[in-house]
Amino acid sequence: MTGQESQTLCQALAMAIREASMAGQLVGKEVLLAELRGRSLLGSEEPGVPDMDALLAETLAANADLAALTSISGEILYHAPSLLSRTYAGILDSKASPVRLIAEEVRRNSADYPRPLPLELFEQFPFDLIPEQIEAGLKSMAADPEFDDISFITTSTGSIYLFSSRHLERPYAAFLAERADTGLLLNP
Amino acid sequence: MAKEKGGFAGKVLRVDLSTGKISLEDTVAKYREVLGGTGIGYKVLWEEVPAGTAPFDAGNKIVFATGVLAGTGVPCNGRTAVTTLFPSCWPQPLVASGHMGGHFAAKLKYAGYDALIVEGKADRPVWLFIRDGRVEIRDARHLWGTGIRRATLEISQEMGPESVVAAIGQAGENRVPLSVVMNSVSHSAGGVGAVMGAKNLKAVAVQGSGSVRIAGDKSEWERLVKFHLSILGANNQHVVPSFPHPQSEYYNPTSRWVGAPGKRWGAAEPPVEINGGLFDLNRISFRSNSGAFYLGDQAWRYTVRGNGCTGCPIRCHTILKVPSVEAKYGIREVAQNTCGGMVFGRSFFKQLPGGLMGPAALEACMVGMHMADDLGLWCNYGQLQRDLIKLYYDGTLKTKIGSDEYASFSWDKYENGDPAFLFEIIPRIAMRQGELGEALGLGTGGLLDHWSIPEETWTQDSATAYWKLGHPKHHANEDDGQCGVIINTQYNRDAQCHSHANFIRNGLPLAVQKKLAAEIWGSPEAVDGAGDYTPMNIHKARRARWSLVRKELHDSLGLCNWMGPWVASPLKERGYSGDDSLESRFYSLATGEKMSREDLDLIGERIFVLHRALTIRGMGSMEMRTRHDLTPQWIYQDLSGAQSFTKGTIRMDPLDIARAMELFYEVMGWDKATGAPTAKAYARLGLQSVADGLAVKKLLPGVEG
Repeated sequence: MTGQESQTLCQALAMAIREASMAGQLVGKEVLLAELRGRSLLGSEEPGVPDMDALLAETLAANADLAALTSISGEILYHAPSLLSRTYAGILDSKASPVRLIAEEVRRNSADYPRPLPLELFEQFPFDLIPEQIEAGLKSMAADPEFDDISFITTSTGSIYLFSSRHLERPYAAFLAERADTGLLLNP
Repeated sequence: MAKEKGGFAGKVLRVDLSTGKISLEDTVAKYREVLGGTGIGYKVLWEEVPAGTAPFDAGNKIVFATGVLAGTGVPCNGRTAVTTLFPSCWPQPLVASGHMGGHFAAKLKYAGYDALIVEGKADRPVWLFIRDGRVEIRDARHLWGTGIRRATLEISQEMGPESVVAAIGQAGENRVPLSVVMNSVSHSAGGVGAVMGAKNLKAVAVQGSGSVRIAGDKSEWERLVKFHLSILGANNQHVVPSFPHPQSEYYNPTSRWVGAPGKRWGAAEPPVEINGGLFDLNRISFRSNSGAFYLGDQAWRYTVRGNGCTGCPIRCHTILKVPSVEAKYGIREVAQNTCGGMVFGRSFFKQLPGGLMGPAALEACMVGMHMADDLGLWCNYGQLQRDLIKLYYDGTLKTKIGSDEYASFSWDKYENGDPAFLFEIIPRIAMRQGELGEALGLGTGGLLDHWSIPEETWTQDSATAYWKLGHPKHHANEDDGQCGVIINTQYNRDAQCHSHANFIRNGLPLAVQKKLAAEIWGSPEAVDGAGDYTPMNIHKARRARWSLVRKELHDSLGLCNWMGPWVASPLKERGYSGDDSLESRFYSLATGEKMSREDLDLIGERIFVLHRALTIRGMGSMEMRTRHDLTPQWIYQDLSGAQSFTKGTIRMDPLDIARAMELFYEVMGWDKATGAPTAKAYARLGLQSVADGLAVKKLLPGVEG
């Protein structure tokens, strides 16, 4: 493959990643390969398949607006963070596993902001979990040592908030949950 | 000439209701060094209203003043400061200001005036007609006794639909200290309605056909306005959405940026769906919905649209249409307001069926807005409602009013959260009917006096949120530790400062906030996480000073301190920075007079210190530290017993707060022993004559008595 051919494919890959991000989707190697074929940039036969890993590495190096993440399945997925943020990408990637989705989001929020998260958040877009999924997820977490840091708090109004004890002490999490649940509403 | 200068309308209108004299002053010549807004208000009170004047005396003056940026294309420019001696300030009236948005400020500028000074007292009810150069004092006897809606309607019919009417309701007429003046349906300035009532001034109506000249380069002006729009967040400058979104790295479930794609203004005809990109500049008004923030998802179906002030894309006054309240309560099905005004009715109840976001809460809000926004009643930032809750639930009320009066209230409705109870309580306060109505309308200080209740009963109870001088906290230690405490010690009513709170609540992760704090205030230690407070340091003192100075600047430029400052932004590519020099850049372009951020901040500080001087003169004491800059005992307590500086408490440490005040006085250049500005501090701010006046009265540190 000539340098010019390689550059053309990288440009096409970058465009495809951006278009997918614009549509709210993460893309992996196979989808991108199909994309190149769909754009008639590759032959349909095996000898025409380039080294996609090398091409994608080159694409990322040449386009600072693009990023990659390792999916919970182990697959490398690509996105344009200005169109599909890292946070949102993480949520999309975890959607197939409600347990991991809840746990990772709770941990990230407990560590970064810091704050506990209201349980009802996971019923809303883009999480879109149904109450049964959430309940099953919480039960599953409770039985799995990998998630023993995920804990919950009930506020004075009965709202449930989740936090990670790796990043938030319970009294502080309780304070922040109460503040979020009613404190800010009563303090306009 | 002022007109050549740009920004300023050019004239200050002065109306003497006692004599009927109407006169003009040149704004730039007389008031340029205090800009406008509270600056003009404080200057007028300093120079023209002697200490000892009572709020309802004819000698008290009420100053409606806007600023250079009002009526321009600058976002969030619709503010009018209304400055006077406050009747709810206790135990003695002192200077304070109410602030209203809406369209009054712009209309006043378009009529040619930066401010209106009302003095004296009319011998009969009047309203003030202002149409460009034509100013008349008109008979308002036919309007006296009517609510704000009726008065506004009748005056609008007389003046024309493009006029803006700022009117008082029955509460103001009856000189209820907790009363407002209101323009543009829902935009009120609290605490000043009774001063208008005492002057027999029912309303001020303005129609202007002029414009505000921008002196600087027009293209640069346009670019700066666009830039400002790009760094806007939602209501209160919350810069991240409340929901995860592909275009945003961060989100915060308690953000006021609630307009998620797919939500609908369900009561619009036809309904409008929130669409487009998260950062589209022509969709900023989709971001905020005060109804949805305070009342939850149920509010979307009742939302007509967001309403708001001149030039403001935030639209924080949400219009709600709830047809069921018309049939159930016999009130209008449409109401609009924001924040404390929207939840006026709900706040009376300790509990409501379905909680704070249930149907009863929605109905209570509708009933509250219907009555309070017509009677012109002020909530004193929720203290009115908290006072009733405390009086009732601790049993005090039963001992203070007669049994017949007590029995005349449906306390079962009150305890059960039935909005119908509001029909029993709100009108009685506005009309000063009965012991309870009379006492509640006085404000907390007057109420405590009236019933001989020790102030400590309130200051020791965190549930009251009471702070001092008859007024509550406003974003104090619960939001911002020592910085919030310092700010809440400085004013003679609730602090109304949002410079600090809008930053703390902006929704960015703490690490990002600390990065911004280092850029703006010199150290990441200027900011703590809420409820995770560290001991006081000089950087927090500097941030408190910055917050207060920017508040006064906004109040004097016609900008909204409920929305600004804009030092954080939603923009990842800017590292979430906003712009700390925005105000001075706009000022320079509007006026044509180059003004640096530091120079404009100096004027803001001058205005703030003028307020301090007025307070010292009004109290007849420079012992601010021990007599004025007070904190309630509840901030030093924690019901769970948690110690200060442990995570999860807002409990402050008395010695640390003492140090906080010392550091604040230090960065202000004030005397640490008294908390009063020194002669040097006044001189640095061009307030030598103020210092001289205080020295004569022995109210200047270092001047022997």
